[in-house]
Amino acid sequence: MNQPVIIAENLRKEFGRVVALRGVSFQVEEGAFFTIFGRNGAGKSTLLSIISGMASATDGRIRVFGEDPGERTHRHRLSVISHESFLYDNLTALENLAFYGKLYQVENLNERMHAVLDQVGLHHRRFDLVHTFSRGMVQRLTIARAILHNPDLFLLDEPFTGLDQHATEMLIGLMDDLKSQGKTILLTTHDLQIGLRLSTSFMLLERQRVVETGTSDGLTAELLREKYFSLVKTSEAGQ
Amino acid sequence: MNVIWAIIRKDFQMEFRTKESITAMWIFSLLIFVIFNFTFEISRLLLLQISGGLLWVAFIFSGMLGLNRSFQVERENGNLRGLSLTPADPGLIYFGKFLSTTFFMLIFEALIFPLFIIFYDIQLSLVTLWIIPISILGTLGFTSLGTILSAVAIHTKQQQILLSLLLWPLITPIIIWAVKTTGDVLAGELSAAFQPVMVRMLVFDVIFTTISYLLFEYVVQE
Repeated sequence: MNQPVIIAENLRKEFGRVVALRGVSFQVEEGAFFTIFGRNGAGKSTLLSIISGMASATDGRIRVFGEDPGERTHRHRLSVISHESFLYDNLTALENLAFYGKLYQVENLNERMHAVLDQVGLHHRRFDLVHTFSRGMVQRLTIARAILHNPDLFLLDEPFTGLDQHATEMLIGLMDDLKSQGKTILLTTHDLQIGLRLSTSFMLLERQRVVETGTSDGLTAELLREKYFSLVKTSEAGQ
Repeated sequence: MNVIWAIIRKDFQMEFRTKESITAMWIFSLLIFVIFNFTFEISRLLLLQISGGLLWVAFIFSGMLGLNRSFQVERENGNLRGLSLTPADPGLIYFGKFLSTTFFMLIFEALIFPLFIIFYDIQLSLVTLWIIPISILGTLGFTSLGTILSAVAIHTKQQQILLSLLLWPLITPIIIWAVKTTGDVLAGELSAAFQPVMVRMLVFDVIFTTISYLLFEYVVQE
């Protein structure tokens, strides 16, 4: 059995009187592709913020690579891709990668930048400013930024938002590549079809609680959809 | 040092490419000098008395424009969050932003000062050279607090208003000291209070830079 990369126990998060997570517990093992499904406001992004160390839990325990996410020692092993690119519009693709490469202290940075730009098909646009890129190209450069330091854990927060079909397929292809390399991936999405296609295990969040967990083996999007709506109804009835 | 240098280099690369801040700051300062020079008929004696304040109005209001722009680029695509997710020490990220804004403001002040001398026909002497340490100390005080408060305000919708509300009360002492010492220098005579005020400015800078460095990690957390 693989080592757990993420261990969350009874996580609770409050923003003043608003409760964003209510006792969430789960584990993600090394090499797993773990998808968190849930509606808007279910608590997916809050959970990712806590895992990435950008927010702290009000209560409960969380360990990433065996450490508190607030510690910065494991940050070089982690990468976040969200609908925000973290890229500077007035820098070129290469300048953006050079900047992040220095912050992550990437070895052989020059070679590595060219390699990742090649991987995402943007090498020919390396000297172009990011503000001249289409949404799909920005997302491809975001991926290049995310894989630049060769992390072990990817946190993907609704990465398909605003992408066209071509860019979506490209991102899925890249996730498949990462999965085959044994990287651990945690994806949040409300798209059951894509989530199930990629994941090895999943968790359903509804009203800031875990309502279902399981493996994706033999589960179709239709089955999960039925299950999902029945759980949502039960949850709403219980309120 | 790599982190600090990377941030400074990145900020300067973007500014030299777009020239957004420097253009706005330059026009703003020019307007202040022109308005005060041609609109108000003031005697030379009165001019010398208010010249320190006049110069620092140009420095600080233009600096606010630069400071806002500097953090606007960190807000645009969630970049401050992107920076915070790296293994880089948040304190070094603070120093990178703080020093890039400081260098930028000092370069701008060096460009605008000769214009001020010409517009107001200020007599130069050796004493005028004191304007260099005064500018450095005053600017450091402004940017040390401005940088951390910009990071606080970045999460809000009314970023510019909040920054002004938070920053002005805190920087008032150093602005008063900077205006007073600049007035002395431009008048060509250093008063007895000059040296103690310079020491106070230095202490202010050290205290607020240290506090900001220590608090920056908590400010960038969600």
